[in-house]
Amino acid sequence: MADHGTTPVRQLLLVEDNPGDASLLRSHLSDLPGQRFEVLHAITLRQALDSLGNRTFDLVLLDLSLPDSQGIHTFSKLNEAHPHLPIIVLTGFESEELASEALMGGAQDYLPKRDLDSRLLGRSIRYAIERKRGEEALARERDLLYTIIDNVPDRIFIKDKDSRFLKTNRSLARRFGLVHPREMIGRSDSDFFAPEHAMAARQDELKVMQTGQPMLDKIEQETLPDGSVSWVITSKIPLLDPHGGLMGTCGISRDVTDLKRIEQELAAERNLLRSLIDHLPDYIYAKDDFCRYTLDNEAHRRLLGVEHMDEILGRKVTDFFPPALAGQYDSDDQAIVRGGRPLINHEEPAVDRAGNKRWHSTTKVPLRAEDGRVAGLVCITRDITETRQAQEKVQRANSELARSREELMRALTDLQASHRQLKEAQGQLIQAEKMQSIGRLAAGVAHEVKNPLAIIRMGLDHLAQEIPPGSAEAQLTLRDMREAVQRADGIILGLLDFAKPRELNAALQELNPVVDHAVGMIRYVARQSKVRFVRDLAAELPLVWVDSDKVKQALLNLFTNAIHALETGGTATVKTFAKTLEPADIVGTSDSRITHGFHPGDRVAAIQIKDNGPGIPLDKIRNIYDPFFTTKEPGKGTGLGLSVTRRLVEMHGGRIDIRNRKSGGVTVTIWLACGKQV
Amino acid sequence: MSKKRILIVDDESSLTRVVRLNLEGTGRFEVRVENHAVNALSAAKEFEPHLIVLDVMMPSMDGGDVKAQIRRNAKLKTTPIIFLTASVSPSEAGNGGFTSGGELFLGKPVSTEKLVEVIDQQIAAQSPDLPPVVSPPETRASA
Repeated sequence: MADHGTTPVRQLLLVEDNPGDASLLRSHLSDLPGQRFEVLHAITLRQALDSLGNRTFDLVLLDLSLPDSQGIHTFSKLNEAHPHLPIIVLTGFESEELASEALMGGAQDYLPKRDLDSRLLGRSIRYAIERKRGEEALARERDLLYTIIDNVPDRIFIKDKDSRFLKTNRSLARRFGLVHPREMIGRSDSDFFAPEHAMAARQDELKVMQTGQPMLDKIEQETLPDGSVSWVITSKIPLLDPHGGLMGTCGISRDVTDLKRIEQELAAERNLLRSLIDHLPDYIYAKDDFCRYTLDNEAHRRLLGVEHMDEILGRKVTDFFPPALAGQYDSDDQAIVRGGRPLINHEEPAVDRAGNKRWHSTTKVPLRAEDGRVAGLVCITRDITETRQAQEKVQRANSELARSREELMRALTDLQASHRQLKEAQGQLIQAEKMQSIGRLAAGVAHEVKNPLAIIRMGLDHLAQEIPPGSAEAQLTLRDMREAVQRADGIILGLLDFAKPRELNAALQELNPVVDHAVGMIRYVARQSKVRFVRDLAAELPLVWVDSDKVKQALLNLFTNAIHALETGGTATVKTFAKTLEPADIVGTSDSRITHGFHPGDRVAAIQIKDNGPGIPLDKIRNIYDPFFTTKEPGKGTGLGLSVTRRLVEMHGGRIDIRNRKSGGVTVTIWLACGKQV
Repeated sequence: MSKKRILIVDDESSLTRVVRLNLEGTGRFEVRVENHAVNALSAAKEFEPHLIVLDVMMPSMDGGDVKAQIRRNAKLKTTPIIFLTASVSPSEAGNGGFTSGGELFLGKPVSTEKLVEVIDQQIAAQSPDLPPVVSPPETRASA
């Protein structure tokens, strides 16, 4: 039945000095069914040890009585040299003592050569090999176990029923400063720990033994006699013998002092954080990735009108805010969860529990899980209503201030304008008063002088009738006297005209026809004096508010002056044109008193009269507007023409400018404001 | 043709004297002078002039009041009146005198020639065909 193809060949060392025994044994070995051996035969222990040194064997059949070694000593030598090799001891004599000694020493079997047969040998060999293999495996596992036990950082201990250490590992021994675990054997916790811990540990072990239930993962504080404290996590289980009998307890504990410290630090930090969050006046809250509340602080709960955090957990903004606001908040939250981008200091409207409108400044940042995914959001919101109101107040105050300033500026401008007008009015009043006085004087003088003149005039007429017709000298004298009366009367009339209160009867009209008419009125006199009037009237002239009679009177005065200036004949030009005043037109005039009322940029219609006469003597030009001042020879002017003309122009709000031309002669310019009602 | 009667009322006797001389010198007027305005009405009633030359400013009574008195008299209601005034402006002192408030004014000084011309015009306009002493029937308001 032996299968030579598959049955392994076992290497066997036969150590036997007796050739007969050796031969018999070989014979037995070859007869064994199912087992094949390659046998090397050694005669001495020395030979055996050499052979074992050279190659590997599965088994040694060892006779204890060899030429170089006897008895159990032979076994011991071989076993020491090759402790893992199964050895079957053969002996020629039976000795129970020797047998037991060999077996105790590790021999696999003890066979008396006398009783040996091949079946017994075969079985013993098979068992020896198998047993040795089992023992080896066990030993290896045990070594592994002890290696693990001795090298794990966890503290492992086995105690008897009285809680005395039966076995501990190196980690536990090191904890108490011992070199070897066996130094702890027979001692108890009270030898190593402070009494309170030793007692507590004993209580735990008693309970484990009484109930048979393990104590798992108990976190406990250990105090050593020196007062040092450590934290451990301990499990204890009942220790039973193979029959279920209680032997004691077995435990394992791990030092978690560092963890505990970290935990305490974390707890402290958490407390700090929690305290901070809870006592901050800002609203702090967190939400999950479905935008449901997961945490908040007291201020936030007050805002929502709830007392406990439980009342907000799992709920959304829609549960607490009006739909319009909640919709906006939720959309912001969703954007953060989806986009992962924070919302910083976002100012948004809100309402408090009483329904009052508030303003919030909210910062929301995404909360990321370890994998980087957005797992929710953390938010902090500040009520900025007061700040905003204050800002608005400041803004309002500022704009109020700006408005007040504008109003002040406007008032100032108005005041300045009023002041100017008042000054003008004052000037006009003074002028009017002056004119009134002159007027009263003139009227009185006129009455008192005109009667005598009337008597003289009538008297002259009477005398003319009385004088004989041939008396030429007397007639001539009478004519001169009549002319003298007329001249005196003319002066009085001029004075009256000058002082006469006037009213304007102005209408918005074209200026050219007025000028035309005035030129027409003077034409006869001009022709008599050989003066040619040339008109140069603007094709288009803006309408002006004028009293045409008064403008004509002014123009006639000026025309008369021109005619008087052109004694021996000449040309006078009358021109009209429109003009926008420039700064140079306002300043640089000979008489600034007459420039008031005009400003650069004003649009004016102008009438300009030029003559090519001798011009005004330089020492006289300052006085030309003074009443009764004249450069004309006696009998030609009253000295009132320009005064009256200037009054007429000024009544229209206009301006008159008279100056010598460089090329000779005089230019008179009258400006009338366009479209300005007078 | 009979002479026209002219009543001259003016407080300035020097003036009234030469005016009378000059008018009478034409041979066409019979002139009566009254230097006191208060007597103007009685003089007019008595004299029944064809025309009255009336000074405006007189010490006791001005020309306007004198005219009002005269106009209240039925016989004198339509008698032409020429005011002679020292208070006129240059434009008023034109060649043909001027009217103001329906009255005809002449400014002093005035030439005899001018005065006669105006007197003639006024009397002609009044009613040349009617006898001077008879008041005309209601014709028209004073010139």
